[in-house]
Amino acid sequence: MSDPSVTQDLIHGGEGPAASVVSSSNRPRSLWQDTWDILRHRKIFWISFIMLILFLLMAAFPSLFTHKNPDYATLAKSMDPPSGEAWFGYDLQGRDVFARTIYGARTSIIVGVLATLVTVILGGVAGVLAAYYARWVDSILSRIGEIFLGVPYVLGAIIILGTVAPAQSSPDRVTIMAVVIIVLAVLGWPILMRIARSSVIQAKHQDYVQAARALGAGPFRIIFKHLLPNSLAPILVYSTITIGSYIGAEATLSLLGIGLREPVISWGIAIADHTSYIRTGAHAMLFPAAFLSLCVLTFVMLGEAVRDALDPKLR
Amino acid sequence: MGRYTIRRLLQLIPVLLGTTFLINYMVWQLPGDPFAGRCGQRPCPDSYVSAMRAQFGLDQPILLQYWQFLKNMLSGNLGVDFNQVPVVTQLADAWPITIRLALLAVAIEAVIGISAGVLSGLKRGGFIDNVVTISTLFLLSLPVFVTGFLLQWLLGVQFQIITPTVSDEAPIMELIVPAFVLASLNMAFTARLTRTSIVENRRSDYVRTAIAKGLTNRRVVGVHLLRNSLIPVLTFLGTEVGSLMSGAIITEGIFNIHGIGGLLYRAITGQDYTIVVPIASLLVLVYLVSNLLVDLLYGVLDPRIRYE
Repeated sequence: MSDPSVTQDLIHGGEGPAASVVSSSNRPRSLWQDTWDILRHRKIFWISFIMLILFLLMAAFPSLFTHKNPDYATLAKSMDPPSGEAWFGYDLQGRDVFARTIYGARTSIIVGVLATLVTVILGGVAGVLAAYYARWVDSILSRIGEIFLGVPYVLGAIIILGTVAPAQSSPDRVTIMAVVIIVLAVLGWPILMRIARSSVIQAKHQDYVQAARALGAGPFRIIFKHLLPNSLAPILVYSTITIGSYIGAEATLSLLGIGLREPVISWGIAIADHTSYIRTGAHAMLFPAAFLSLCVLTFVMLGEAVRDALDPKLR
Repeated sequence: MGRYTIRRLLQLIPVLLGTTFLINYMVWQLPGDPFAGRCGQRPCPDSYVSAMRAQFGLDQPILLQYWQFLKNMLSGNLGVDFNQVPVVTQLADAWPITIRLALLAVAIEAVIGISAGVLSGLKRGGFIDNVVTISTLFLLSLPVFVTGFLLQWLLGVQFQIITPTVSDEAPIMELIVPAFVLASLNMAFTARLTRTSIVENRRSDYVRTAIAKGLTNRRVVGVHLLRNSLIPVLTFLGTEVGSLMSGAIITEGIFNIHGIGGLLYRAITGQDYTIVVPIASLLVLVYLVSNLLVDLLYGVLDPRIRYE
């Protein structure tokens, strides 16, 4: 959607979605222009968009939302319920739950976005290679993908993380985040490979690709200029939703004690730390859980809005 | 059909070999010492470590270890764990509980998911459709453990309708809420899949013909529309049986159920890898076989699909 013509369309006030079908202008309308026209009339898109901006702000500048230090602990206030002074109450160590929840956004979003990025790169490259070179490259990559898909997600993550970073160890902040990101991506790439592969295969035998080849375009040019743009739409939709599910997965792994851990501040850790105190102080767990769910909801909602706009079947 | 089945079974073999090798490799070859925390505060004596390494063949190269593993699996010998307790007996205790939990979850998924999907698909854009769309969106964005803790807190602690944790025998009544939690995510997928499928098929020619013939609405929906629309839903439910079993790790942890998931999780946190490898391999086998069965079922349910 970084297409400059889209913004131009915005300034001049593009036609509504109904008009776009029988557009009178001679300029052919791209898929992205149609999508944008539909999107900007959808309430659900704007709601998720505003929520996304809020969460991104929270991740980038947490001090805009709270002036408290998330690591400052007053043991006397341990598990105090929510009050005017601390909106979400205090956690087990007597730290402000609101401040910790705000600061937790950064970790979750970084892990979600980076893991998705690595997944897209791994899966996208494998998918395009498999589709373009077909034959044995395709067979080998598809079989490897099947093997990784054969390992159920949670199981695979637990096995790798349990071995590389067992619950007893205490790796530093960057290492453990990198490990979690890699684990999520390593187990997730085959699905993306399938998406990229099928859309490239569909495009491969189109006339315009044959024409490009006849004009002497090399594999690099064909892949990047002609094949890749075709798989962009499904990859974009899938990866937006994936960011959400990776954020949930990160929290799940942290909950099991093998994902992120102190001194990293994350929603998953906050929930994990207070699961045994569910009877006496559920607030320390419920607020981070609510933020976690809202953040996942944002990405899922955004992905679905874009998918609905892109999918001509539902129009 | 027969030839297709055989070919799929043969294709299963390399995937199964690859996956089990991957599990073996991940568990035994990735950095980390399996005997690090086994002797309390002090490091384990060398004699113990070398004896254990010899017993489990850890001093051999990975391919030889894997060959030994395959031989053991094929002869039905699951071995013993680090405490010399046979893995088979532990598995026999845990397996029925997880099967019960997973089947209950699939039943909940099917009943609630399909009925919600059908209701919303028939009246597209109506009130029920909006309710279902929004609630599935919420279910999709709630991680399983959040749903689990929330229900445990609400029903178990606040209203005291259920016992927060499940007893050792795990009777069906106590498993209903955990099964609901386990099913929650797939329930939302099932509802959406049913809805899309119903919406698509409603416009099809055979439905129009059925209505034109003057059949009652009940018969058009119940017989003509539903049977065709449920094919993709059934295949989805089938493929998910396998992943439900491993997804049970979290649900079983929250509700303290002594099933496969709990066993596996305790083994991993206790670094008792000799339990992890056979159980994980078994779960993968269940997963792959259920996928295969679903593919075969597809051909039976939808005669338009022909294998060769």
